[in-house]
Amino acid sequence: MSDATDRLYVVTNDQISPARERFGRILVWCAAALLVAVALFQVMGSFGTVEEMDSWRPTLYAYLVFVIAYCASLVIRHGERGKRQLFIVPATIFVISMVVFPLIFALTIAFSDWNLSSVSGQNFNGFDNIRQMWNDGFYWNALGNMVWYCLAIIVEYVIAFGLALLLNSEIRARKFFRVAFLLPLMLSPVAVSWMVGKSMFEARFGPMARLARWLGWERPSFFGDPDIAPYLIEAMDAWTFIPFMMIMLLAGLQAIPKDLQEAARVDGATPWQTFWEVTFPLMLPVSLTAIMIRIIFKLKLADIIITVTSGGPGGATDSVTSFIFREYRDRSNVGYGTMLAIVYLVLIIIGFTLFMKLVARWMRPRT
Amino acid sequence: MKVEHYRRLVAMQMNRRRMLQGGASLGALAALGGTGLMPRGARAEAHGNVRADILQIPGVGMGSPTDADWQRVGEMCLGTTRARFAEGEFEGVELTFMGLNNQNLHNFLFRGFLRPWEAYTGATINWIDLAQADYNARLQQSIATGTVDFDILQMGAPFEGDTAGRGLLDPMPEWVAADIDMEDYVDYLKEPVGTWDGQVYRVSIDGDCHTFAYRKDYYENEEFAAAWAAEGDGSDWAPPTTWEQVNAHSRFLAGKSDPLTGLDAYGFLDPLKYTWGGFGFYFLADRATAYAKHPNDPAWLFDPEDMTPRVNNPAWVQAIQDVMDLIGVDGAYPPDQLNADPNTTAFQQFLAGTGMGLTWWGDVGSNARTSDTSVVGDVVGFSTNPGATRVYNSQAGAWEDTPNEAPNNAYIGWGIYVTNRVSGDEARRTAAWSAAAHLGGKDLSLWCSAYPSGFQPYRNSNFNYDEWVGAGYDADFVEDYLSSNLDSYNHPNAAIEPRIPGIFQYYSIAEDELVRGLAGQYGSAQETADAIAAAWEGITDQIGRDSQVALYRASLGL
Repeated sequence: MSDATDRLYVVTNDQISPARERFGRILVWCAAALLVAVALFQVMGSFGTVEEMDSWRPTLYAYLVFVIAYCASLVIRHGERGKRQLFIVPATIFVISMVVFPLIFALTIAFSDWNLSSVSGQNFNGFDNIRQMWNDGFYWNALGNMVWYCLAIIVEYVIAFGLALLLNSEIRARKFFRVAFLLPLMLSPVAVSWMVGKSMFEARFGPMARLARWLGWERPSFFGDPDIAPYLIEAMDAWTFIPFMMIMLLAGLQAIPKDLQEAARVDGATPWQTFWEVTFPLMLPVSLTAIMIRIIFKLKLADIIITVTSGGPGGATDSVTSFIFREYRDRSNVGYGTMLAIVYLVLIIIGFTLFMKLVARWMRPRT
Repeated sequence: MKVEHYRRLVAMQMNRRRMLQGGASLGALAALGGTGLMPRGARAEAHGNVRADILQIPGVGMGSPTDADWQRVGEMCLGTTRARFAEGEFEGVELTFMGLNNQNLHNFLFRGFLRPWEAYTGATINWIDLAQADYNARLQQSIATGTVDFDILQMGAPFEGDTAGRGLLDPMPEWVAADIDMEDYVDYLKEPVGTWDGQVYRVSIDGDCHTFAYRKDYYENEEFAAAWAAEGDGSDWAPPTTWEQVNAHSRFLAGKSDPLTGLDAYGFLDPLKYTWGGFGFYFLADRATAYAKHPNDPAWLFDPEDMTPRVNNPAWVQAIQDVMDLIGVDGAYPPDQLNADPNTTAFQQFLAGTGMGLTWWGDVGSNARTSDTSVVGDVVGFSTNPGATRVYNSQAGAWEDTPNEAPNNAYIGWGIYVTNRVSGDEARRTAAWSAAAHLGGKDLSLWCSAYPSGFQPYRNSNFNYDEWVGAGYDADFVEDYLSSNLDSYNHPNAAIEPRIPGIFQYYSIAEDELVRGLAGQYGSAQETADAIAAAWEGITDQIGRDSQVALYRASLGL
């Protein structure tokens, strides 16, 4: 029987007997007990109290048994309502298993001094990694660079918007240009790094160096100069991803009803007024979405940097991701590297929450 | 010997006349044999000379070796295995081998070499192929998480601290040492390399060292000689033998024209973008060992007593200062050198005709004559790394004004190791070591040196130039190039890096600090070196100072 809060029409009027309900409870508690027992046994094994097993698979299997038992108990205890819950429970458990548990494991690593070469293995070290991070000039330098890289998205947005407007207008070979402008997005950033960063900008024989010399720059140095290198890294990344923003903005422009712009023109608005008073406000939701996704991409910037400059010269082009890559992979400093990643994640979450709040305020209809 | 060696052989391409000559000779020999004029003993010896025979597979100028060739070579080198084990003796034994797949070499060759071994012994091998970039991470994670899933391991000696130091390896049985003739190893691959606490763990299959490659045409150029006589320090205009001379020549060459290309001439090519996964540090060490590696002291990176870094002692600071001095000379380095990693200096600069010289592994020597992009093949010369006019004595804490040489045998070379997964099962253990001994066999090493394999010569017998010439190599090239390797290997004061856990972590953080210093973010070479030393202290503390001291001393054989 469905309760008062159940607004769905229930075909089967379940008659759940107390015995059946009890069986459901026993089933799930037994599975939970099995899970706890196996996990405890393995934890004791890792401390040497009992015989250690080869892997943690027994705990994983016990967890799977518990999940299955829990799902079964929902049906046993709640009948038709339980079946409906089954539509969402497995997905919820999957998300918890794939996101929450790894996050918990990551936190346990982040608060340890785990260096893969350390004979003593993984040991809890409290806030030592935080303290180390606080005094780590490389990390703060990389974070500072990331701020500039992210601010450069404003310029990327302006260019992308301009290109989208161009491709939305009645120009010749419009379809060709739409495909042509999208091509950089299809290239791997590593390929861009080699083709552009290491070949075109090769300081002696590269075409850009020849051009620079022809223009009077006697000894061009593109990636050896800390004042120039970050701009070129940004330019390569922008060249790859501006088409992505452009295509999103183009889709937004095409979704704007033509009659609004025509009405503005009929009312005597200039092209600039039409754009600024009609098109741009209507494009704001798409624009903010495009910028947010672009920020997410930008925060992961690493491949071009690793390939072209390795973060140099003197850290001028370093990103947080490329620095963590070196710390984690080259130096096997798993505990500290994980802590840096966790802090970066927290900063991103805070930053995005604030950004979303601001966006919500901007998007609120003006009264 | 690297793949480029073989490309050189291909470049020598057997021409039609040579082939006809060979064919005529073969026909004549066949006729002699058929008429019974050729002595029986001579015929038997011709077939019995495995070393000469394997060097004909596939033969100079006959294209790249294939899997079939590797199997043939493996079969022909199986004599030691046949002599020691009965056919099918390891039937049912299954082993896992972890190695690299760089340039489709390494494991690809091992598969071919071991196929006849598998067929003969009855054992089966499963393969784990890794890219070079994944190797360290995979190995370290396997060790740290207790998930070592391989019985035989291709590994560089610098990782012995991570493995042998933790008791993860199986000691080599005595019969293996006899079968592979370890006495034939070049000096620096002998004890303590490959050993830990007196136990031998390694079957060497490779040797590594940095040598100095320079442009002979720079030093045969009369204009340069005359200008040097006018501007120089009074010394002869000849290839530099010390780092002081290297810097003096670099300053002198700034602003001059390259005699080969007509473009700007440059001096020594330091890879100023040292950040190269730890491997870039070897190039600073090339300079520093001459100052820092005292002949009476095996240690040069840390103090053996307490792992105090020596990287900020006056010797290392001098090496860093040498680099900084050249950065301050306009035109001493090519433009954008701060973004030049070692690959750039070797393959995009030196081989393309830029720069007076550089230090590198064997690849540069072989590429100089064989790479399509190399223009320096006829003007390149080789020697051991430059030395110094003085050496720092860390124990006395003072400079000694005595000339010093200390070639940097960077990375020491690849070897085959057996893990302790097989230690409890004698059949599996014997099978694993038999496979390792087969790959590290004396004859097989000659073939690997002469053909593309990813490995350099590592035995004294690999330097018998007559065998190379007999196989079709140019005598002058072989002597010039290989003797620089041999002299580095056998140098009494060669700098051999410590085989301690996490050694590449030390190198990696040193690279980061070094590029900061070169970018002017520290006040001086001393401050840069101090920053490296502080980072090294942190790593030592994190890994465990007591254990590091013990392992370091063991790796030095103390």
